[in-house]
Amino acid sequence: MEFYIKVLEITCLHTILVLGAYLMTGLTGLFSLGQGGFVSIGAYTAAIAFLHFNVPFPIAILMAVLMGSVVGFLIGIPTLRLHRDYFLLVTFGFGEMVRAALLHLAQLTGGALGIAGIPKQVDLPMIHVSILFITILIYNLKRSRFGRNCIAIRDDELAASLMGINVYSHKMKVFILGSAITSYGGALYAFLIMFIEPNLFNWLESAKLIIITFVGGVNSIIGAIIASVVYYSFGEFFRFVDVWRDVLLALAVLFVTIFRPGGIFGSWELSLKNLLPWRVKKI
Amino acid sequence: MEVLKAITISKNFGGVSAVDQFAMVQQENEITGIIGPNGAGKTTVFNLITGVYPVDTGEIWFCGKNITRLSSHRITDLGITRTFQNIRLFRNLNVLDNLRVAYGIKTHYTMWEEMVRGSRAKREEQETEELARSYLAYFGLDQYVDTFPYNLPYGLQRRLELARALMASPKLLLLDEPAAGLNPKEIHQLIKTLLKIKEEKNLSIIIVEHHMELVMNICQTLHVLNFGKKIAEGEPKDIQQNKAVLQAYLGDEG
Amino acid sequence: MEYQILLQQIFNGISLGGVYALEAVGFGIIFNILKFSNFSHSGVVAITAYLGFFISKYVYTNFLVTLTITTLAGGFIGVMIEKLIFRPIRLKGAPLTLFLVNSITAAMLVQQFFAATLGDDYYPYPVFMKQTSINLGTLTISKTYTLMLIISGLILLLLTLVLKRTKIGIALRAASTDVRTPSLMGVNIDFVISVAFFIAGVLGGITGYLLGMTYSVDPFIGSMILKGIIAAIIGGMGSLGGGVIAGLLLGVAESLLIAEIGSSLTQIAIYSGIFVLLLIRPEGIGGKRYLIKA
Repeated sequence: MEFYIKVLEITCLHTILVLGAYLMTGLTGLFSLGQGGFVSIGAYTAAIAFLHFNVPFPIAILMAVLMGSVVGFLIGIPTLRLHRDYFLLVTFGFGEMVRAALLHLAQLTGGALGIAGIPKQVDLPMIHVSILFITILIYNLKRSRFGRNCIAIRDDELAASLMGINVYSHKMKVFILGSAITSYGGALYAFLIMFIEPNLFNWLESAKLIIITFVGGVNSIIGAIIASVVYYSFGEFFRFVDVWRDVLLALAVLFVTIFRPGGIFGSWELSLKNLLPWRVKKI
Repeated sequence: MEVLKAITISKNFGGVSAVDQFAMVQQENEITGIIGPNGAGKTTVFNLITGVYPVDTGEIWFCGKNITRLSSHRITDLGITRTFQNIRLFRNLNVLDNLRVAYGIKTHYTMWEEMVRGSRAKREEQETEELARSYLAYFGLDQYVDTFPYNLPYGLQRRLELARALMASPKLLLLDEPAAGLNPKEIHQLIKTLLKIKEEKNLSIIIVEHHMELVMNICQTLHVLNFGKKIAEGEPKDIQQNKAVLQAYLGDEG
Repeated sequence: MEYQILLQQIFNGISLGGVYALEAVGFGIIFNILKFSNFSHSGVVAITAYLGFFISKYVYTNFLVTLTITTLAGGFIGVMIEKLIFRPIRLKGAPLTLFLVNSITAAMLVQQFFAATLGDDYYPYPVFMKQTSINLGTLTISKTYTLMLIISGLILLLLTLVLKRTKIGIALRAASTDVRTPSLMGVNIDFVISVAFFIAGVLGGITGYLLGMTYSVDPFIGSMILKGIIAAIIGGMGSLGGGVIAGLLLGVAESLLIAEIGSSLTQIAIYSGIFVLLLIRPEGIGGKRYLIKA
């Protein structure tokens, strides 16, 4: 039973990270390979605050989110104006920079040895509540002006700006929110697995977040969640063939992009309307 | 009232003069046409007015405000909207959402209110939806509410683009080749619609067009461009006789 | 730093830079024509690195022969990747984001495949020559690095000739401006794209072999092309010449910095430098500010 709980914890935690990626990459088309940087920032900020400065747990988490948001803002300033491919590579660079900085500031961060002995403060209910909360947040944004603007920007930036959307400002909001969510996930991660090190979340893991979003379908939050749950729980159950699950994931993604480019779930969203077809309410 | 004033605007692309000292004045409630052979720089003029490209020289004034250096979204907010030569609807937003997107600038609620579905957000969302639906009805598109734009027949896509441009209650509407690809029946419909909305919404319209029947029928003034320069300006019937214009279109026929 | 060591570092930097330049060009060719970042290039590099190892260790240990075989294999693999991974979505008119996703996925596929099958072992290339370094006066120059430099230089020269003098080369350059132009020249666009991937694959093959030879092979060897991609950005996507120069500069800068301030600070310095550069000049050194057509 304990094993299953562990699996669920890891799976759901990664789902928080996928939600952050969904908002940024799926909905708005910002391809960031540097999300690992924010996971680390969140994790290290919370861990260091708690262990070295005796900050109470909730405040430590809050600090992690704030740190992530501020860094997101600073990184966003020069990068959000860049062409998509440049943005991708620059955010990758950011991820690597964070890793290098963590290695270098060994006094504070423990360097390559990382930080051990973080007490387990995070349990399943906390993660579930977090996911629920974040999902509702994103869902509300998605179905109103914010979400429409995201999709418009993703589809056609020029037309979006000519419809009155301040593209740069909107991207910044998305990026900060996404970074906040990712840092939050990172902070929880530290108090879940109790040990963190600079290689915690490398660019490949960041890429996986993006890929999972595409498998689920970029227009479907529930698609991203389900894809994430399937992938990460599969990985935990089959730990011994861990690397093969990535091969399978890759094959699944290729299959989806070639044969079902909308993603497995397309634009289907879990909502009352979809579950109760006979209670026809206006959208 | 002068709605738009372009003062000798020019745009150069890598040595090629796309627009050369173009100037025009547009009044309220007026329909004007910009015509000229292909490549004459007509769409570039639109791009300059709407801030897609910065002007190299010259100024653009809209309702007494200097909009020359403003960014596109600010210009739209002030009251200029447009359609495109190659339709640019948002492919992943359904028909209703394509319209709702265009009304976003008129709403005032913040991101935070959206996240928690605050009352102002809900109210303004309602407003947005009602306006969008009314336009769908106006353009005969209500049965397509859930459809995605590129599944619509071409003529209806054009209508949707026009509806989208009207959502934010513009004062000036720029239409880039609105008749392209339409059959004669659809073009007659378009003429009727444009005249109707001009009166009902008190709009000023500038049309870039190749289709002569359309421009001759509804434009009060025409500006003719060739190689980026304006070669003639006047009422349609005068333009039709203008030697320089005929030469530009037909070449040197003597 | 002492004069000799400085010179040595610069030389190392240039030869490393040569490999970065190859990577940048391999990456850039696809970007120019199809307008997306082809991460599957790392897959080609990884496959050819392993291939080069197995061939030279078990089949025939001769530097030039195995290099040639690996290189041609690289070209072939490049074409296969195009056919299996990119052509199906290209024919369906997929948006560029999907190409990007597929290329990242392909890279992951290759890396994890090798991690799953051959991950645990350590694969150093066989020693090709008795003496590993040449003594030039007071300098000790590594033979490996010299070879890398010569090969990179030759290949880039060859490529320049192909691009400027042959019909297919001109078609490739035409395709960079607009992917439909080759068909106006009477050249089949599918063929042009296959050739582009072949050339990129060949470059990838050489890169894989050289990297494998220098560093030994592991599943993550593909990720080493990220430096080359960075060179491509700094040089400006769209400018192959810019990519070459940037690659060389990057190699030298890295070489000198690592000797002075150590590996992790070098990373920070380089990435910060890129941030700043792109802030001032978002299109890179040689790139063109691309105009959106309304």
